[in-house]
Amino acid sequence: MKVAVKQWHAVAYWKWDTGATTEQDANADEDAEDDVCGICRVSFEGCCPTCKMPGDDCPLIWGQCTHVFHMHCLLKWLNTASSKQQCPMDRRTWVTAERKVDR
Amino acid sequence: MTTISKKRLAKELRELQTHGPPTGIAVVSAEDFECWLFTIEVLGNTLYEGEKFCLRFRFPGNYPIESPEVTFVVDEKWGAPVHPHIYSNGHICASILGNEWSPVLSVVSVCLTLQSMLASCTKKQRPQDNDRYVLHAPLSPKKTRFHYDDDTV
Repeated sequence: MKVAVKQWHAVAYWKWDTGATTEQDANADEDAEDDVCGICRVSFEGCCPTCKMPGDDCPLIWGQCTHVFHMHCLLKWLNTASSKQQCPMDRRTWVTAERKVDR
Repeated sequence: MTTISKKRLAKELRELQTHGPPTGIAVVSAEDFECWLFTIEVLGNTLYEGEKFCLRFRFPGNYPIESPEVTFVVDEKWGAPVHPHIYSNGHICASILGNEWSPVLSVVSVCLTLQSMLASCTKKQRPQDNDRYVLHAPLSPKKTRFHYDDDTV
């Protein structure tokens, strides 16, 4: 039998590489907490409350302490005096980690 | 009013409705995104056994970047727990509501912290400076600069 493909429809999805392992991804449904920005509680792949378009327009920011947030959410926090420039998760001084793009 | 507090609070409310509040906590009213009321009880063998209190949260427009104002309701019906860090006007001296607020905290995590603050209390008494504080206290405890000097309770 011969099959001729007349039409096809490609579907792709994207995800930020937050360093979560595939095993963690498999458990993502059970423990969705890890996949949301701790400040706005919206998924990393969504956008911060002031943005409309996810992706490069509303990127993530990584700290040397390994914590991840929407960049806009974290900057709003760091711009306040009460933040004392600390990571909201562990209260260590926030140092933005340099990310090497390896893929 | 900015949308950031509305969006975050809508999520917290949905969470409260789907999973229910933690044991001992109940929603009294959460009709808008400015003021929520909860009842709080400390279950188990504690100094507050059988007592029930009412907590009021007031949210600024930029919550959770800015902390909520959290007080115990004091009126004809409700009273503030007698506790070394809770003033008789309902103001609470707790570092997470002041200079140790973090935007990853939430309504539920604040309730749980206050619950455990009550649970670990060993002596029912008012703060030493209660009378002086209450006499001159600002309307919002967020205008008070508390000294957090006791980590034990």
